Amino acid sequence: MSYRQARWEEPALWDLAHAHAPEAAPAIPGVPDRFRRRQALRWPELSEPTVVRHYTRLSQMNFGIDSGVYPLGSCTMKYNPKVSELLARRPGAAQLHPYQPEATVQGSLEISWRLERLLAKITGFHEVSLQPAAGAHGEYTALLMVKAHFRELGEPERRTEVLLPDTAHGTNPASASMAGFVTREIPSKDGCVDLGALKAALSERTACFMLTNPNTAGLFESEILEIAEAVHGAGAMLYYDGANLNAILGVTNPGRMGFDIAHLNLHKTFATPHGGGGPGAGVIGAGETLAPYLPVPRVAKAGRRFRLDYDRPRSIGKVKLAYGNFGLDLRAYAFILAHGEEGLKHIARRAVLNSNYLGARLGRRLPRPFRTLVKHEFVLSGAPLREKGVRTLDLAKRLLDEGVHAPTVYFPTLVEEALMIELPETESKRELDEFAAAVERALDDSPEHLRAAPTSCSVARIDEVRAAREPVLSWKDVRAAGSAKVETP
Amino acid sequence: MVRWISDEAGEEAALLQALGLPSTEELFRDVPKKARLGRLGVGAAREEEEVVAEVDRLLERNRPLGRFANFLGGRIASRYLPAAVDAIVARSEFYTSYTPYQAEASQGMLRALFEFQSLWVELSGVDVANASLYDGASAAGEALLFCRRLHEGRRFLVPASLPWEEKSVLANYASGPGLVVEEVPYDDRTGLLDLGFVRNAVGKGDVFGLLADVPNGFGILDEQLFELKATLGEVPYVVAADPLALSVLEPPGAYGADVVVGEGQGFGIPPSFGGPLLGLFACRREHLRQLPGRVVGATVDAYGRPAYTLTLQTREQHIRRSRATSNICTNESLMALAFVVYASVVGPKGLASLETSLAEKARTLASALGSISGLRAPRFDAPYLGEFTLELGRGTTAAFVDRLRRRRILAGTPLGDPRPGSPKGPERLLVAPSPSVGEKEIARYATAAKAWSASSGGS
Repeated sequence: MSYRQARWEEPALWDLAHAHAPEAAPAIPGVPDRFRRRQALRWPELSEPTVVRHYTRLSQMNFGIDSGVYPLGSCTMKYNPKVSELLARRPGAAQLHPYQPEATVQGSLEISWRLERLLAKITGFHEVSLQPAAGAHGEYTALLMVKAHFRELGEPERRTEVLLPDTAHGTNPASASMAGFVTREIPSKDGCVDLGALKAALSERTACFMLTNPNTAGLFESEILEIAEAVHGAGAMLYYDGANLNAILGVTNPGRMGFDIAHLNLHKTFATPHGGGGPGAGVIGAGETLAPYLPVPRVAKAGRRFRLDYDRPRSIGKVKLAYGNFGLDLRAYAFILAHGEEGLKHIARRAVLNSNYLGARLGRRLPRPFRTLVKHEFVLSGAPLREKGVRTLDLAKRLLDEGVHAPTVYFPTLVEEALMIELPETESKRELDEFAAAVERALDDSPEHLRAAPTSCSVARIDEVRAAREPVLSWKDVRAAGSAKVETP
Repeated sequence: MVRWISDEAGEEAALLQALGLPSTEELFRDVPKKARLGRLGVGAAREEEEVVAEVDRLLERNRPLGRFANFLGGRIASRYLPAAVDAIVARSEFYTSYTPYQAEASQGMLRALFEFQSLWVELSGVDVANASLYDGASAAGEALLFCRRLHEGRRFLVPASLPWEEKSVLANYASGPGLVVEEVPYDDRTGLLDLGFVRNAVGKGDVFGLLADVPNGFGILDEQLFELKATLGEVPYVVAADPLALSVLEPPGAYGADVVVGEGQGFGIPPSFGGPLLGLFACRREHLRQLPGRVVGATVDAYGRPAYTLTLQTREQHIRRSRATSNICTNESLMALAFVVYASVVGPKGLASLETSLAEKARTLASALGSISGLRAPRFDAPYLGEFTLELGRGTTAAFVDRLRRRRILAGTPLGDPRPGSPKGPERLLVAPSPSVGEKEIARYATAAKAWSASSGGS
């Protein structure tokens, strides 16, 4: 326990300088006086060194993959190759406007076109679109496509339901609701889809069944071919949540498993940095039935030229400005080029090996609710911690003191006091062993220490209840509460 | 072979041995044979320097903005990025972190997001902002769904002048719950909203919200935005605003907006061929529980010291699932960081003077183009800031853009829906001098446009 995060008593940005005097913004010729800002923007005037030092200190109070292991299950926190950062900052990539004439953006169009084809091969789909901005956005887009498909078949009134297992990521039901579907959860059996329960729930009302495979319990749904047959037998579509694709790269793919449509998270499997919560890129792949509904534009190749094709009469239209998060697409392209066929297959083998190794070791200390052959991640139950009067949350906080991030906690919800752990292929055996030792030390620690954790981060345990009960969400709220030493003009 | 997959000292053998397995193949025995793959066909692995060479070879086929005098208008901007912004954004403690689920270990990003929320509250003039959405268009889509949670009805009003991409995104967000986006016509001379149409539509009932933009899709500042709240009454009012414009314009909260959304890319984020971008969203405090997406709150730690955390999570997908206010999980945190660092490095006076200088350039160019036969600029008789609409009396925007491109000028962003079969409108461009454009480039644009006009519209 030699870990210590930086602990700066860094003032708020607005306490570093006087905010603006309440003067009006400058008058601009031709702009009606009524439109002129009566009180100039209230934001501090700071020197560049002050700003840089402020944010550098904040960065030192933030934990990233480059700081240490990040075992968040289902988040696939792998090393983000530095070369991708270099390439995304090339003027030819960063200083390119989406509304430039096509003749001037041929390189980016070609990279997008090539990436789409690589991802089509990896996923086994007919076509791929790079447009959605994140995984949940991809889910939502895909469900709108499913909806458009049934509208075209003349059955939009009938196909109103989306089915999903109780282990589904929360985004699945949320996206289905936004797309106007009613959701129904299928209870799992031993951590996997209960085929009987699924068959009983499928009907002519079912538009789609959404599934993650391997699922959030880390288990491969071995009955996937039977699931696909049942779903298609009911006339419904099968949706693949690609959050966990990392585990099966090159082994199988959604197309081969019988899925009709999928989203992939480039920030998971293809190592684009997650940026503290985003940006992501929620690429979608579709089989022949649903491909015509993909958002416009599509990247097309005509001879040696590339262009944006808007002539897709069955397309749902747009879900975002421009064409996808190109900065991330480029990083993912570089990642795939570097790995190649063997590298991609190696990713899945090593990620699954790591997970099984760590699962076996930690399974000696905490119960594993399901079968022990897992894929990219595994789930433990922290329920026995109750015997010493602590919870999974305390264990998670205590782990922060070990210089590692905590796993995903309290998900999947069907496991009591769940811990969901994923350490992908970029983590060495040494890191796995050190992480396991950290968990073991935490488990052996006293209840008092567990409840008092963390003690090595920039702050101690945070009062989340107060944050929700008395929401203070901006500098304006701080001013209103009078709880900060702010120079109010 | 790059060394990103760990295999220090043959450690895989040790891992397999610990598991008592002969090979990793055993770990996939639960994948049915019929679902197994042969070759992917994605090519062989490459060394890092080969990857760089290959990507650079492709990127060389691009002609980046630096090679042109740039006049592309619309929601995506190209401005000089102070080097300090990327120096912060490129700090790996920030960019390699995940969503700050463990607040104690993530105070840096949480505080930066709190500062970002504070800045959008100050710019927008409404009470609470979230920690970002994907882009301006999807933020408008979330605003549409937000309005429907506040008010009954089936119709959502938007200006007919709204850029086609945003109309299309809004139509998709509306289509889920079976709602309809309806266009409010504009006056052909001024480009201003038909307020009578809004009044009638609201009077008939069934309208659950309206979105107006500032500047609008033609670059216009429509003074009627100040009257809209009175016209709408209880119907929620969304304003889509440009953050740079808000450094000099009255914040929409001051004239009754219930929601203020925007595209934040122009603050510290390179255009990157269209993404990542940054969706801005703020609303009134009384509607806080309906806010979509992540939000950061200030609180204290166990010792009473200031601390920050993701909060009000019972609105969100991971708790509320199908009844969440939105499906947002990943947002654009790193871009939100860029936004607040940019604004802080440039400062409020710097932002206002940047917008003032862009407005001057736009005025100079518009008056130069307006005097050319066959061109109408600005097309509409209404106030504008840094961008305006150019209408061609003859020829096509495609030909005009192509001609000027050959003279290293990006003439503007064509307006209108490029999808075949969509109504063919007048030939219009949204023209916005970028900050790097000076008198010389404006003169070059005017000369090239005059030549195009003289050659009878390039037809």
